[in-house]
Amino acid sequence: MSDEDLHRIELRAQTVEELRSFLDGIDLDLGCRPAVRRRSGEMVMEVYATMSQVNGLRVSRSASGVTVSVVENATQTGRARQAEVSSENRFSSGNRLSGQLPPSGLGIKE
Amino acid sequence: MPYMNVEEIEAALDALAASYPDAAQLVPLPNRTSEGRQSQALRIGSADVRAGNAVVITGGVHAREWVPSDALVNLAADLLEAHSRGTGLRYGGQRFLAEDIRSVVEELQLVLFPCVNPDGRHHSQTTEPMWRKNRRKVRADLGLHCVGVDINRNFDALWDFRRHFAPDSGVSASDDPCHPQVYVGPAAASEAETQNVVWLLEQFPHTRWFVDVHSYVPAVYHTWGFDENQTSDPSMSFRNPFFDGRRGRGNDSYREYIPGEDVEALRELGTAMNEGIRTAGEAAYDFEQSFSLYPTSGASDDYAYSRHFVDNANGKILSFTVECGRSFQPSWPEAEDVIREVCAGLIAFCLAAREQARRTTGPSV
Repeated sequence: MSDEDLHRIELRAQTVEELRSFLDGIDLDLGCRPAVRRRSGEMVMEVYATMSQVNGLRVSRSASGVTVSVVENATQTGRARQAEVSSENRFSSGNRLSGQLPPSGLGIKE
Repeated sequence: MPYMNVEEIEAALDALAASYPDAAQLVPLPNRTSEGRQSQALRIGSADVRAGNAVVITGGVHAREWVPSDALVNLAADLLEAHSRGTGLRYGGQRFLAEDIRSVVEELQLVLFPCVNPDGRHHSQTTEPMWRKNRRKVRADLGLHCVGVDINRNFDALWDFRRHFAPDSGVSASDDPCHPQVYVGPAAASEAETQNVVWLLEQFPHTRWFVDVHSYVPAVYHTWGFDENQTSDPSMSFRNPFFDGRRGRGNDSYREYIPGEDVEALRELGTAMNEGIRTAGEAAYDFEQSFSLYPTSGASDDYAYSRHFVDNANGKILSFTVECGRSFQPSWPEAEDVIREVCAGLIAFCLAAREQARRTTGPSV
C-alpha cells in the first residue's frame, strides 16, 4: 500500500447540513459527483481520501457528529481490476480468431 | 469477457457498422485527443441524419468509470442484433418486444459515443486506476507538469464558476491546473474531448434528448445542476448577470428557472428509465435533480439543455446524467449486471422518448 493510495470512505450524519459543515474547507475527492443518499434514517455519502487525510479528519473533526468509515483501498482494488481489462483486440479485423466479428451484447434475444 | 480497452471500443464500433450497414453508421469525431487518438460515435437509425428525433448518449467522460463505455457498446450490439433478427430483448425481468426494438431503431436516431475520454481510460486501465481527467499537459509552459482537465467541468455552462456562483456555494470545480479531480481547464470547451461532444450535438441538430452515462451512485439525474429548480420566474436564470455571485447555495432566494412542462417531460423520461433499471436489476436507482449537496459548473447535461436558452435556433434537448452501479471498477461479473441495468434503462428511456416524439410529430414509420 502506498501513502498516495485513495481509500473509499463512507461518511454518515443525521443531516445534510452536518455533512456540509464537515466537508467545509477541505478538498476531498467527492467521487463522480457530490451525492448524498438517505440510508436507514441517516444521510450517507462517499468520498475518496488518502489514509493520512482520513486520520487528519478523524482528529480535526472528531466533534462533528459525522461517522468516518474506511470501506476499501480503492487504488488497490483498481490495480487488481486492471487484470480484468482485455489485453488484446477482440474486434480487430486482423484478429486471427474472430476476423471482424462484432461484439454480442448481454441482452437475451428472444 | 473482460472490460474493453480503448482500441477494442473503437474496433467494436467499426465491426458493428460493418456488420449492420443498413442500420448503423460510424461517425468519426473531428478532434484528436492530446495523445493522438481519434474517437468515433455510432449512429443507429435512419440514414437521413437531418431527419428524425435524435438521442445522443455519451459515456467514458471520466476515466476511472469503466462500466459506461462497455455498457454503450453492449447497447449498440444488442439493438443491432435484435433488430436484424427481428427479435425482442430481455435483461433480467425486463422484456422488450421485437416491435419495441424496431421502433427505437427505425423511429429515432440513436447516437452513441461510448468513450469520450480514451486517453484517460487507457491511463486508468494501465497505470493509475483512480485517474479521472483527460491526459493533456496543461501547464507545460510554466515548467510545471500538471496533467488533465475534468471534461465534465469544461462545457460552456456557467463554466466561469468564480464569476457565476456564490463564494460559499461549495461549487464542485477548481481553477487550479494541478487539481487532481475537477480542474475546469483554461477556457470553456478548451478540450478536444469536450469539443467532440459539442460537435455531435451540432452535427445532429434534431437532438431532443441527451444522456451522459457515468458511475456511480446509483441514480438518474436531470437538469439543472446549478441550483434548486423553480418554474415561476424566467428572469431568475443562468443567463441573468444580476445573479452572478449568488448562485449555488441552495435553500435561499436564488433558484434556477426551468419551464414546468420540461419538468413534466423530464419526470416522464426519468421514471421510464428507472422502471427499466428496476425491472432488470436489483433495485431502482434514485431519480433526482442534479443539484444536491453542492452545485456543478460546466457539466455536459446542463450544457446540452442550456443551448436552446442561449440561442433559440438550437432545439431543446432534455438532458440527464446516469450514475450507474455501486463502484467505479466492479469485478467483471458485477459489471455485467450493471451493464444490463444500463441497457434496460436506456431502451426504456428511448421508448418514452419515442412516445414524446409521436405526440409531437406523429409516428415516422
